[in-house]
Amino acid sequence: MAFEVATQMDDVIRLEDVYTIYEGEKRPAIRNVNLTVNSNEFIYVVGPNAAGKTTLLETINGLLPPSRGTVYVFGQDVRNNGRKVRCQIGYVPQDFIVDPGEPYTALDVVLMGMYGKIGILRKPDRRDLNNAMRIMKLLGVDELANRSMGKLSGGQQQKVMIARALAKEPKLLLLDEPFSNLDIDSRQRIPSFIEKLHEGSDMTIIIVTHHVSQISKRCERIVVMNNGEKIADEKLTESPFLLKELYQILGTEVFS
Amino acid sequence: MIWLELAIMQRALVGCVLAGLLTGLLGVFVVKMKLSSMGYCMSHGAFAGAALGVAMAVDPLTTALVFSSITALFIGPIADKARLHADVITTIVFPLNMALAFVFLTLSPEVGLKTEVANVLWGSVLSIFYSDVVYLTSICAATLGLIFLFWKELFAIMFNRKLAEADGINTKPFVYFVIFLTGFVVTLSLKLVGGLLIFALLFNPASTTLQFSHDMKKIVFLSPIVGAITCVSGLFVSLFLDLPVGSCIVLVSTFVFALAVLLSPKRRRRRQK
Repeated sequence: MAFEVATQMDDVIRLEDVYTIYEGEKRPAIRNVNLTVNSNEFIYVVGPNAAGKTTLLETINGLLPPSRGTVYVFGQDVRNNGRKVRCQIGYVPQDFIVDPGEPYTALDVVLMGMYGKIGILRKPDRRDLNNAMRIMKLLGVDELANRSMGKLSGGQQQKVMIARALAKEPKLLLLDEPFSNLDIDSRQRIPSFIEKLHEGSDMTIIIVTHHVSQISKRCERIVVMNNGEKIADEKLTESPFLLKELYQILGTEVFS
Repeated sequence: MIWLELAIMQRALVGCVLAGLLTGLLGVFVVKMKLSSMGYCMSHGAFAGAALGVAMAVDPLTTALVFSSITALFIGPIADKARLHADVITTIVFPLNMALAFVFLTLSPEVGLKTEVANVLWGSVLSIFYSDVVYLTSICAATLGLIFLFWKELFAIMFNRKLAEADGINTKPFVYFVIFLTGFVVTLSLKLVGGLLIFALLFNPASTTLQFSHDMKKIVFLSPIVGAITCVSGLFVSLFLDLPVGSCIVLVSTFVFALAVLLSPKRRRRRQK
């Protein structure tokens, strides 16, 4: 699907005074959030539980329409062009686990991530299949391609979900607690794989986590959410002590 | 089997095959899209419509189609507009349709539980006309064509609707497509199986096939075959034992489901753990 990315400005994401309220709730899950993310930035969003981190991601990709304010992604208002925008976004939701009886293979799940981008009335072709297998191999799950997704372990499923988000070659990658189920080895290997991917592309990456210990040293910028508000937005290069302060401000027990 | 040479039996046989194929196929989408409760509403909506048709002495098929379309409108677009959860709207619409059906049935007391009313309630081989076979064939061809065209979108929605939206698929039209198509298929199969039991045909073949396979493509291929075989078997049982055809079809498909649960390799593996 042809999609014109607005190049007038360098920002990939722009949130202006954004509030998002869940249906039936009085209190906004995020409020008065202003955020500009430039192309190729690598950002971590941190904060305790119920800080509004997931709401922020789903407001950015338009799954949750903001109740006030405007969200621009690639220069497009997501309220009007959400689906076009989402075709260019790779998204891994939090704690997504497939039930054991579900009849989908891991390869099915990875290929499905591309369906929106491939567009209606078109079938995935050989190139799409090769791309899916290439990403699965890079993440070490290619041998699981024909296994039932529901039969895989939580960590394996999480890697398949990351492969799904990457296979569509997104311009923006939104990962919500993507490493929570990974074993110790994968917790080091998969983030460094994503960092390398980021270095070699113009992809913008936002990773949500409540584990400060998981924040990569190569992370350029940290956005801190608490009680639905953005309480800090710092570049690590400009605030070398930010991580330490985060431990002190928000409490190690919440993040560790 | 001389009775197989009778035109009425040939129509019933073809009707059974088509109704089994269609309900078996659509049932997979209904079950995997978590629209199961919609099946009850839809079958009783069509049943209420057919009952109105009988009471008003007009073609029950037409009124059943109108009622199932209205039911589909309520379960799909209207529920979305009103932001009502699927469980809420189906729980409201299901007894409403039943209540309307009984009101319409009592409006035609001279008919009683004979002829058309009985056909609408529990189906009849004798009520399948040539036109019904033509309608079923047409909707079968249309359904297969549309599912082939939009397979990847339907497949992604069956896996997870929210993820499909997150990947840029407009899920609403496809969910509405399944809801309305289910309404039409249920209505057209109503004469054969009857309004009280038709929803069993939506769930039993799909649930039976889900016991055996981990591959959605195989399930979509096998479920209509299971549906057609159970429908035809039910028809034969009904003819040999002189019992209502709808009841026999549901009894056979329930028996097949029970066998599937007992023999399911998925469950066997789970027990070994």
